[in-house]
Amino acid sequence: MTATNDSSDLEALFDSIAADVGRTAPPPAAPAAPVPPPAPASAGADNDDLQALFDSVASEYTVEPAPAASATPPPGEGAGGAWPQQEAVFNRIGHMARELHDTLRQLGYDKLLEQTMSALPDAKDRLAYVANLTEQAACRVLNATDIASPLVADIETSAKALGTRWDKVFANQLGVDEFKTLAADTRAYLNQQVPEKAQATHAQLTEIMMAQDFQDLTGQVIKKIVALAQTLEQSMMGLLIEVVPEQRRTEEVNNLMNGPVISAEGRNDVVVNQAQVDDLLDSLGF
Amino acid sequence: MAADPKMRFLVVDDFSTMRRIVRNLLKELGFTNVDEAEDGAIALQKLQAGGFEFVVTDWNMPNMDGLTLLQTIRSTPSLKHLPVLMITAEAKKENIIAAAQAGASGYIVKPFTAGTLSEKLNKIFEKMGQG
Repeated sequence: MTATNDSSDLEALFDSIAADVGRTAPPPAAPAAPVPPPAPASAGADNDDLQALFDSVASEYTVEPAPAASATPPPGEGAGGAWPQQEAVFNRIGHMARELHDTLRQLGYDKLLEQTMSALPDAKDRLAYVANLTEQAACRVLNATDIASPLVADIETSAKALGTRWDKVFANQLGVDEFKTLAADTRAYLNQQVPEKAQATHAQLTEIMMAQDFQDLTGQVIKKIVALAQTLEQSMMGLLIEVVPEQRRTEEVNNLMNGPVISAEGRNDVVVNQAQVDDLLDSLGF
Repeated sequence: MAADPKMRFLVVDDFSTMRRIVRNLLKELGFTNVDEAEDGAIALQKLQAGGFEFVVTDWNMPNMDGLTLLQTIRSTPSLKHLPVLMITAEAKKENIIAAAQAGASGYIVKPFTAGTLSEKLNKIFEKMGQG
């Protein structure tokens, strides 16, 4: 057996096939071998896949000029010489698998990856929690503005109406009775309407303020996820660098749905404000 | 051209919060006739049913994104005249160029202000008046 396989599994596989080839190959050369299919007793391959592989290899083998019966080569040499390319591929795959395995173990990445992978579902839940809280907060704030806006609008319109009537007083266009009514209305406005509506508005402002309490909670959750992402990235990157050093990092995926720009620093392919959008469109003539 | 306060808007965004904000801003600007759609596919159905005069759309949405919606609107004879204002978080230059080339009437990046929305709407109304 001349093959120098590094992987014991691959070697065993190779051996079994090579042995079969060596055992059944001679028949074409031997005049007393009339049975084309290998005899059950002589076929060492008990596995269908191996049998199929063997059959294809064996048929190739028999196409070659049959060696002289008197100079039958050693079985191993014959098989090894028949498919040096396959052998090389097996060799390389065996090497790669073992390198990957060894590297993972040496660097402790197998444990690290296991940990980070198990942490991902947890991160998913946490992000769902963040989405939930921020949505609730947004709804609370929008509800509060819906309540407060008409209150403020009322204060404004009532003040304007009273102001117009007072303008008439100063223009001497108002009678005594009308003036008395205006004075009473103004008193009611100042003593009741404005304080009531201002208090109600203030309550909504407090509601808006309290709706921001999500920031503390989501902040904590997001920090944890950022830490997880960093660990994951580091272990993945480390693994890539160790195992495939020549692999170049692929460029940023080029598509049009990237979401908000998290950091525009050092990038010249994004705009950071509306003015830049407008400038860009202007410069293109839109 | 003074915009008709009865003008019917369709606000398209997959986030209800953003739809509500845009709706409120439009209301403050005097436009109260506003309908909503949560993605491009639903928007297209509503638009095809007719009656809309203005589309405000997000870009990144499930089922049908805003750019596809815009392209579909521009290639549909009954809809292609509709002004389409994009309000989106997509801020890459190629996004803005792609939107402009697809026939967007305006492009606003999130986060945006009420002032920006008002300004862009007025600009579009001006162009519509000229056209």
